[in-house]
Amino acid sequence: MGGPTYDCLANPLGAVRLTFEKAIGSESETPPTHPSAFNGKDWGALELFRHFLFQESGLSQVPILNPKTLRWVQPNSLVRYRGMIQDMLGNEFYAGAYKDGNLWRTNKFMDVSQYPMGSSPDMCIWERRLLYCVPVPGQSPWTEPSSEMEPNWSSQTREKRRRMDDEDDDPMDLVPDDEIKSSPITKKMREDGLPSPSQSMDTKTTSSSSITSTFQSVDKDNLPCLVKIYDSPESELKLNDVFEFIGVLTFDSELAVEKDDNDELSNSFYDDALVHLPPNKVPRLHCLIHRKLAVQDFLPGSPIIEPKPHLVKETREALFRHLTAVLGNDEVAAHFVLLHLLSKVHARVDDVAVGKLSLNLTGLSKESVSVFGTRLSDTFKNLLPFTNCMPLTLEYLNTASLAPKKDYQANRLVPGVLQLAEGSHLMVDETRLESGSLNSTGIENTKLLKKFIEFQKVEYDFQYYKVEMATDVQLLIFSEGKSNIVPADVIVPFQPSCLESTETPVAEALEAWRWYLATVRSLPHSIGSEIQKVVEDDLVAARQTDRSLGSRDFSRWLTMARLISSSFGETSLSKEHWEMVKEMERLRRERLK
Amino acid sequence: MASDSSPANFNNGPSSPDDSFSSPIANTSSPAHRRRRGRRQVSTPSSAAATPPPNPSRFANSASTPTPARSTRRGRRPGPATSPSPAVAATPSSTDDFSMPSSEGGEDMEEATPTFVWGTNISVQDVKNAIQMFIKHFRDPQELSNDIYGEGKYTRLINRVLEVEGEWIDVDAHDVFNYDSDLYNKMMRYPLEVLAIFDIVLMDIVSLINPLFDKHVQVRIHNLKSSTSMRNLNPSDIEKMVSLKGMVIRCSSIIPEIREAVFRCIVCGYHSEPVVVDRGRISEPTSCLKQECLAKNSMALVHNRCRFADKQIVRLQETPDEIPEGGTPHTVSLLMHDKLVDAGKPGDRVEVTGIYRAMSVRVGPTQRTVKSLFKTYIDCLHIKKTDKSRMAAEDPMEVDKGSQRVDDDVQFDEDKVEELKELSRQPDIYERLTRSLAPNIWELDDVKKGLLCQLFGGNALKLLSGASFRGDINILLVGDPGTSKSQLLQYIHKLAPRGIYTSGRGSSAVGLTAYVAKDPETGETVLESGALVLSDRGICCIDEFDKMSDNARSMLHEVMEQQTVSIAKAGIIASLNARTSVLACANPSGSRYNPRLSVIDNIHLPPTLLSRFDLIYLILDKADEQTDRRLAKHIVSLHFEDTEIAEHDVIDLATLTAYVSYARKNIHPKLSDEAAEELTRGYVEMRKRGNFPGSSKKVITATPRQIESLIRLSEALARIRFSETVEMRDVTEAFRLLEVAMQQSATDHSTGTIDMDLITTGVSASERMRRETLLSATRNIIMDKLQLGGPSIRLLELLDEMKKQNSGTEIHLHDLRTAVATLASEGFVVLHGDSVKRM
Repeated sequence: MGGPTYDCLANPLGAVRLTFEKAIGSESETPPTHPSAFNGKDWGALELFRHFLFQESGLSQVPILNPKTLRWVQPNSLVRYRGMIQDMLGNEFYAGAYKDGNLWRTNKFMDVSQYPMGSSPDMCIWERRLLYCVPVPGQSPWTEPSSEMEPNWSSQTREKRRRMDDEDDDPMDLVPDDEIKSSPITKKMREDGLPSPSQSMDTKTTSSSSITSTFQSVDKDNLPCLVKIYDSPESELKLNDVFEFIGVLTFDSELAVEKDDNDELSNSFYDDALVHLPPNKVPRLHCLIHRKLAVQDFLPGSPIIEPKPHLVKETREALFRHLTAVLGNDEVAAHFVLLHLLSKVHARVDDVAVGKLSLNLTGLSKESVSVFGTRLSDTFKNLLPFTNCMPLTLEYLNTASLAPKKDYQANRLVPGVLQLAEGSHLMVDETRLESGSLNSTGIENTKLLKKFIEFQKVEYDFQYYKVEMATDVQLLIFSEGKSNIVPADVIVPFQPSCLESTETPVAEALEAWRWYLATVRSLPHSIGSEIQKVVEDDLVAARQTDRSLGSRDFSRWLTMARLISSSFGETSLSKEHWEMVKEMERLRRERLK
Repeated sequence: MASDSSPANFNNGPSSPDDSFSSPIANTSSPAHRRRRGRRQVSTPSSAAATPPPNPSRFANSASTPTPARSTRRGRRPGPATSPSPAVAATPSSTDDFSMPSSEGGEDMEEATPTFVWGTNISVQDVKNAIQMFIKHFRDPQELSNDIYGEGKYTRLINRVLEVEGEWIDVDAHDVFNYDSDLYNKMMRYPLEVLAIFDIVLMDIVSLINPLFDKHVQVRIHNLKSSTSMRNLNPSDIEKMVSLKGMVIRCSSIIPEIREAVFRCIVCGYHSEPVVVDRGRISEPTSCLKQECLAKNSMALVHNRCRFADKQIVRLQETPDEIPEGGTPHTVSLLMHDKLVDAGKPGDRVEVTGIYRAMSVRVGPTQRTVKSLFKTYIDCLHIKKTDKSRMAAEDPMEVDKGSQRVDDDVQFDEDKVEELKELSRQPDIYERLTRSLAPNIWELDDVKKGLLCQLFGGNALKLLSGASFRGDINILLVGDPGTSKSQLLQYIHKLAPRGIYTSGRGSSAVGLTAYVAKDPETGETVLESGALVLSDRGICCIDEFDKMSDNARSMLHEVMEQQTVSIAKAGIIASLNARTSVLACANPSGSRYNPRLSVIDNIHLPPTLLSRFDLIYLILDKADEQTDRRLAKHIVSLHFEDTEIAEHDVIDLATLTAYVSYARKNIHPKLSDEAAEELTRGYVEMRKRGNFPGSSKKVITATPRQIESLIRLSEALARIRFSETVEMRDVTEAFRLLEVAMQQSATDHSTGTIDMDLITTGVSASERMRRETLLSATRNIIMDKLQLGGPSIRLLELLDEMKKQNSGTEIHLHDLRTAVATLASEGFVVLHGDSVKRM
């Protein structure tokens, strides 16, 4: 079988197997490599897939796993999954390589071994990591790739695979029911008189035909996925990171069976977590390649354009006009909102999260929030990839679980409202908050919110102790007066002058704005020594005149300065933009009086 | 059932790992064989060697973890011929344990040719000898002096165990290593085999000493040379001995695991021989074994004649300090047996020694096929509770738990100690530590130095007469809002050995000290500790000290000097230790410091309490362009330099904590002669400074309390350097610190000198001078104006008169009234309402 005759898309496991065989040198004359030498590391399979995905641009052919595609995607084929790492379920040991007769086989990238392995003493135990991933909370609909794959894709490949079966004796493939008898491997196994493998083959085939129906119980818009990671350092994948995983989708009927096997002993002993994640609810993905996703990666189909100065300025102008219209012609507020949308934590010095700019729009009542709040929220949904809302009522504070909490019974991290992906946007509506008393949950929650906004950190509750996780979330608060529960960096009294609804922007404009927000946010930034001197002098002068100014205010000014110059697509602060900051601050202070 | 072909269908309980992985692992070997030879004594070595794949069924037996397996040995007399003897029973192994009467093991013994642990070159006999040597000859180096009995440490331990009828012997792995590092390594790599041999040796010795002792004594290894992090457990650790630290998060209920079952024929009443667990299950006899009966399917289990062992599954989770950024804690399962059951409760921090095991997962309850997955767990051998919260808070002066040499506090390994010592040798260590303390809080270097001294602390002294002097340093921070006092407090709280953070507004007197409560269940009165008692040997951080109620504050008097809390209420009279340093912070009385008022007026705290603070820092927000500029620079660089700014040379929190705790634990500086000299000289100087130039009136500048503070501070400063002696420079620095603190807090605003009276009595010396002057002036006027027994004069008239005479100074009516009142008390005048009459 020389030559790269792999079908990476439909039969990734076949490709894995072929590379494995090549790597251990079972075909060549040289003394075979012992699989334990790999120690679970890659033997060249990943290179193959990388080549296929990125060089041959196979990536676009790989279907993205979501409730829609799940209906027709075949098990053991290559899929992509985009999601946030919500929980880490630890490591799993598996029989990585084992001897079947005289041949070494591998179990890498699969759940169940394909060959009988019970009695063989030669076996290598390898390890893999389990990650529980969920769709990013608050993901906007526009981030979903619109390109529908034609459902007949599967039937095509099925044809192809059928051919391959005959050539390769590949048992990995699903063998349609009618082919069981003719399938050479099944026959062989029957002859060998080993009942168990063929039995498992049977269950496999039946289950594969019913996979569509099994997965139909999945929640329509919320498809979690259990991703199994091989060959990657632990530090690469962190909690709450958004990743794209490309790997083999498996459906393991045996795991489904295990549900019945609920004797208290084995469950309490081990994978409690998996018991609560039946495979018909949570598909398994054996990850071959993963890559971290930035906001840009969610822009549908737009090629990466260089941020040309005039283009950036035009887009900024248009977006600013749009925001002003949405905010009822309040230009000052629109300015701040724009900067707020561009903010992100770019450094952490001890406890200080540098670069965040949370915004509190005051002067809103219950009634006006229903107008402007919804309008803004719609706008944000159209502009930002991940947006969330939090209605801050007394009851909510007293009952909601904001922080993620470890449930030791299920051995899972129960997600909280504040478990958000990096770069998410969160709107807090405080206008409906009424006076009343907080219970202990409420007090806990307010503390949490305060810490969240001040330090961009959330304490995850592991019951016996708490673990602080750094976040990067843009926070916008609506309140009547200055919010004390969620003390924001900037307080802007909101003064709309008209209530007219705005026209909906055209699709191209939206796309440009999304691109603008995503690109400009990640621009690098610096300060020249001259302007640095000016800024320092201004700060000193300001403090000499007003002793109440503190490091918080200075921090805010500098954040604003950075954001303003970024918003014009510039990478270093200019005098003009610094003046703008001062002007904006002056206008804001006037309103506060 | 042919042993070779039986796949792992025994996999019933989690305690029986599958054989299939046992051999591939690092080519080690089958514990099964060792087990068989060592314990069951059933198979011949030849048969074992002849069957290349280790017999699963054999392994299954032993696989049910060392501890329970031992129980089968109970009836068996290990006998003198203890070599892991090749047993004659060359029967198909599947039947061996099942039908083996417990006495049989002993009979089979015979001298063995050298046998090896399967797949290795480790000779069983060698290991055995090594262990015997170890037990007999190991002597604790620390006990050499009183080693006249010639008994080794473990021989003595065995004797003690026999006396108290104990069931196990704790063996310190460090001892094994020190005696025979080869044995130690073997034990680490092949724990199952070596431990089994260890047990056998132990039983031999026990039976030699007391042949009638019928309990089985197990060996428990603890205190390994190196401990693994839970995160780093990987496939190569399987079947190795590991030691882990973690927190117990969940315990299963106790599972009775059947060890021996007895069946009774319901037809004839015949009781079967006890049936031993085989591969995790009991084979029920299908027919009555009595020849006369032979009824089919008549055997029923007799529950109360079966033997059960306790088993418990415990989950251990990583402690927060081991979790890398952006990760969630890992967990691992522990299998506890017999006495270890319930040794740890959820929430306990424990250190566990055990054998890392893996077992395969069956596809279904009835299927024999094995999945490619493994469940891992640790077969627990030893569990030790550790209470290592942040810094070792143990006071080195107290060695009351002498019986237990290995205490529960933090043990520093040698590398770490060397690293810390290296750090301490740096010439600028004091400065570096200062920089590393709350590096994000900007400036306030002298305050940080004071806080550093507080962290390290002085030496507590207890005289034979019973008088004790505290070593704890109390600090009060008073300052303008927004000067990051609270942040400093929070930081110290994070770093402190033990400590409670309270806010003055929310603390009541009883909440701080101790209170008597009624137990809701029993109705008894119980004493509940408050914040100060709970932070014994730590630092109690009190925020918003000024907003505390007077009642609560007065409770602090005792704590801050005597370091105890005395309770006498509800029939409970007790004195509780509260050896705590107090770190308090307060706002000035008018929320912002008023420079026109005296410090006392600004702080507005009772002088009795103030004098108990060693250092009082005023953190003022001065309108100073220089500081403003530095602040501006700091913030600009924070925002525009993406590189970590000012991070150079900063010691990280973990090292800092280790440094502080090591110093507190191991360094006990003594005053050197010249330092003592300097202290005396400096103190005298300080008192002399109270002399007003041109005035005979002496002001007490320093009190004996200050000299105690100075000693504590200089001791702390020596500790910072890991120095055993307090040197001259420490004393000088201590004086400087006190001066810096005092200059801010005890500056008399009218004279500018340091005035301790300001703090100790609340009235400044110059104020007293002024009163004195006023008094004599009043006296003079009255002498002039009033005749003895003559008409009286109104106070206001007197005031006018005074103003006429002393045009330079301003005199208030109420000052005058005080003066006249003083005169009246002297019997010089009589004050009737507003009129003054000379007597």
